[in-house]
Amino acid sequence: MYFYAAPKSTPAPTSLDEVDPELLAMYDKLGIPLKEREILAGVERPNVAVDAVMDSVSVVTTFREELAKVGIIFCSISEAIREHAELVQKYLGSVVPVTDNYYATLNSAVFTDGSFVYIPKGVRCPMELSTYFRINEKKTGQFERTLIIAEDDSYVSYLEGCTAPMRDESQLHAAVVELVALENAEIKYSTVQNWYPGDKDGKGGIYNFVTKRGDCRGDNSKISWTQVETGSAITWKYPSCILRGDNSRGEFYSIAISNGYQQVDSGTKMIHLGKNTSSRIIAKGIAAGFSDNTYRGQVSAHAKAKGARNFTQCDSLLIGDKCGAHTVPYIESRNATAVFEHEATTSKISDDQMFYCQQRGLDGEAAVALIVNGFVRDVLQHLPMEFMVESQKLIAISLEGSVG
Amino acid sequence: MANPILEIRNLHARIEDREILKGVNLSIPAGELHAVMGRNGSGKSTLSYVLAGKDDYEITEGEVLLDGVDLLAMEPDERAAAGLFLAFQYPIEIPGVSTMTFLKAAMNAQRKSRGEGELSTPDFMRAVKEAGATLNIDASMLKRPLNVGFSGGEKKRAEVLQMALLAPKMCILDETDSGLDIDALQVVAKGVNGLRTAQRSMLVITHYQRLLNHIVPDVVHVFSDGRIVESGDKSLALQLEAKGYADFDSEPA
Amino acid sequence: MMLKSKMPVRLNAAEETLIAQLRDAGDGAQAERLNVTGLPTRRVESYHYTDLKMLLKAVPPLVEAANSASAPALRVAGAYQLLIANGVPHPGTTAPAGVIVGTSDGAALSAHDDVLVRLNSALAKKSLSLTLEGSVDPIIQIDRRTEGAAAHSASSARIFVADNGSATILETYSGSSEAHVTNNASYIAVGRNATVTHITVDLSGDGVTHFATNEYVLAEGAKLRTLAIHAGSALARTQIFARFAGEGAHGDFGGLNLVGDGQHLDFTLDVNHGVPNTTSQEMFKQVGRGRSKGVFQGKIVVARDAQKTDAKMMMQGLMLSDQAEILSKPELEIYADDVVCGHGSTCGELDADSMFYLMSRGISKPEAETMLVRGFLEEVLDPIEDDELNEALTAVIDDWLVGAKQR
Repeated sequence: MYFYAAPKSTPAPTSLDEVDPELLAMYDKLGIPLKEREILAGVERPNVAVDAVMDSVSVVTTFREELAKVGIIFCSISEAIREHAELVQKYLGSVVPVTDNYYATLNSAVFTDGSFVYIPKGVRCPMELSTYFRINEKKTGQFERTLIIAEDDSYVSYLEGCTAPMRDESQLHAAVVELVALENAEIKYSTVQNWYPGDKDGKGGIYNFVTKRGDCRGDNSKISWTQVETGSAITWKYPSCILRGDNSRGEFYSIAISNGYQQVDSGTKMIHLGKNTSSRIIAKGIAAGFSDNTYRGQVSAHAKAKGARNFTQCDSLLIGDKCGAHTVPYIESRNATAVFEHEATTSKISDDQMFYCQQRGLDGEAAVALIVNGFVRDVLQHLPMEFMVESQKLIAISLEGSVG
Repeated sequence: MANPILEIRNLHARIEDREILKGVNLSIPAGELHAVMGRNGSGKSTLSYVLAGKDDYEITEGEVLLDGVDLLAMEPDERAAAGLFLAFQYPIEIPGVSTMTFLKAAMNAQRKSRGEGELSTPDFMRAVKEAGATLNIDASMLKRPLNVGFSGGEKKRAEVLQMALLAPKMCILDETDSGLDIDALQVVAKGVNGLRTAQRSMLVITHYQRLLNHIVPDVVHVFSDGRIVESGDKSLALQLEAKGYADFDSEPA
Repeated sequence: MMLKSKMPVRLNAAEETLIAQLRDAGDGAQAERLNVTGLPTRRVESYHYTDLKMLLKAVPPLVEAANSASAPALRVAGAYQLLIANGVPHPGTTAPAGVIVGTSDGAALSAHDDVLVRLNSALAKKSLSLTLEGSVDPIIQIDRRTEGAAAHSASSARIFVADNGSATILETYSGSSEAHVTNNASYIAVGRNATVTHITVDLSGDGVTHFATNEYVLAEGAKLRTLAIHAGSALARTQIFARFAGEGAHGDFGGLNLVGDGQHLDFTLDVNHGVPNTTSQEMFKQVGRGRSKGVFQGKIVVARDAQKTDAKMMMQGLMLSDQAEILSKPELEIYADDVVCGHGSTCGELDADSMFYLMSRGISKPEAETMLVRGFLEEVLDPIEDDELNEALTAVIDDWLVGAKQR
């Protein structure tokens, strides 16, 4: 496993012909428009507010001037360190301390770049901000660092997409994402993660060990994580919310699909510290092939978190009898006025549903894709529109070969 | 005319920042049955909860007297002891507590408030059996946990059974007809009518005129936007049925 | 975790004593193992909420007790009683029809990667041994007692219920309130198409540390109902390890954690559906008063080919104090696809609407509270059909409700 490499100084591809053909095939399946494909492949400058981070280095950030007019800062974190040192100093590491865990420490030691977002007081970000992460280099790890600060009464929706071409070696992705929501602020963070999962025998693939944490620091603040996790050989990822401000709210909506020999261990932590804080967790896991898919989550109410509320729903679907689905919630109530409700189910796709679809002419794979998309609908609807369509297709692709 | 059993004067109440009762005035003399009719969301169920003392509501103005005594100063159990009974629109299910255990506790609580000793088990059983007979309530229903898995009709019959056993002076029936088919409605109405006496007053809260064919009111009030906007005899209910509530809205729709 | 400390653990007094006791008992291997690992901390997943290294301050000497003349804390009319005092089984001389009673050398539990199991297996010298055949009429009560000054004891029972048999077994733990540490084990094999009810009630005194491991193996068509009640001890942990070994078996696993001020009470459950076509239901309730900690860890495991498993687990917690903690970790570990498994976990205080309903019927606030708590708790007794037994268990709850109020 290789850790870090900056992009080689070889010139960027000038046309799609120079881009990894397997990657293009993947984009084809995804139905990503050519324009966007070119952006993703680094051929043309993008026309949405995109920060493209390749091999840990932020290569391009767009729409900056327009955003700057309303005071929004959207740039690479290396630039932010130079240009906005006081903000970076104040907030970087304030949510995820350097010593938080092994991979966070590693990230803190070697991170070179990532995205930085600052939304000033009272500003509603006029467009979706987006970062595409790519691991291009062979034998490398990616260690980007993202910091989003939403001042009082502000709002931002942030999208994160991840792709990597196929490589034989395993590569490490150990990112750190920190969100800070101040009074009445709202941050919506959406991820579609489709790192290379390894080949059909489980060779290669990305090790995706990500530390994502949001701090609802102000009263009435809100942080919402939505994720579609389909890629990577191994994923350990627990986007969390620290509900510090009174009446603050945390949400976690997750779809985690594992096929082949993938191992997914993902979930969330909702730490209720403030009064009348609430959280909601909807997690849908789908395991196929020889994979293992685990939901691991923690909900805890501190003694001072009067009136804390949590609702959790974890559903797992098994496709085939060689995979595993696991649910491991930690539910910790230290306050009599806290009300926690947790529910989990595990089952397979119903034979009746399959038969019905097939009778209407869908083949096995199409039927599974249809039923699974229904199963995850509650989560999909929390994604921004452009990610929703992409995700539906991604789900179908991820489950290819799962029906014997 | 006798002194009123229930006297509501300029009652205002709100939940959080929303004012729901906006000056209710109502006086019900002994032995009379009044109906309050209003569209959904007009605040009529709030009125029943406020009278019974649910603490989600804040009383901002006004007073309520039950037989001359200040009702609003009392806890819900004290109001019950003073003779107020609310038949809930949605009776609460309480797993693990058998209906029988609950009835006994409620009856004994009431006796205690009157300074009487506890009922003996045979006396209790006799009372329940007698009251249950007209309501088609059998022993097996009483052994089940309170309201748990009861059908709509069973829940409403159980409410009327409690009303019969606790013998209140003021009964409030909140949407007692909701969720009942015509047969069940007749059984419940028969039970309620059997409890009408010259001393006991009743307030029937309903959305439909249908119930009032079976439980005939002395006075009908129209409730709109948190207050009573019109009162009349039972023909008012028929008028409402024919023309709808629109005519009575305080502000034009 | 990826980064394991290579540092040797620093042993505390309790660990030192346990290691010495294991050596004295001739189990050098276990002594060495404990010497290396120490007692489990919260980093050991199955002890996440019950950090034994921190909680177990001292272990008293292993002292056996003679037969006891006093009565157990819980009596059920007509029950056939067997005594185990400070770990020593005292089988009676006469036994009811269908009951063969005796003792056997050594402990009863199967090997399990768990420190309490290892300690019991190393330290229990004799097991009470019971074979139950046909329809056994009286309730079999195993009265496990702590006698005299603070002692560490390992107690063990091995129970075989023959094919097609039926039996109700009640185990009670009570005795002196000194700082005893008791490590109890029961191994119960339920034969083909046999029906067994197994109830354990911890009524140990205030100073006692109570550990119990109940291992169940269910053969084809077996029907098992268990109920474990914690109503005593300072620190208690009951481990329930159930293994479905035959198709068509069904298990109902119940538990009641009555946690009062100063107590730390833990139920840890591992239900393993190892073969196809088995079903289970788990229902655990916890209520916390004062400054206390109630723990529930419940895992349902469905093996790769255990198709058609149907398993449903529920934990309900009721918090009656702001200083109470209720910690719950229900887990599903599923390797077969054609299954219906689920769990639920809820926690909160008394329902405000229920309180209002009861009070609107004239029932006073304290009475309404007691009524709701009792209703919440006594629900788990509903399936216990034997009237005498049901009443005795109801009394345990009622006594706790009264006693806990005084705390």
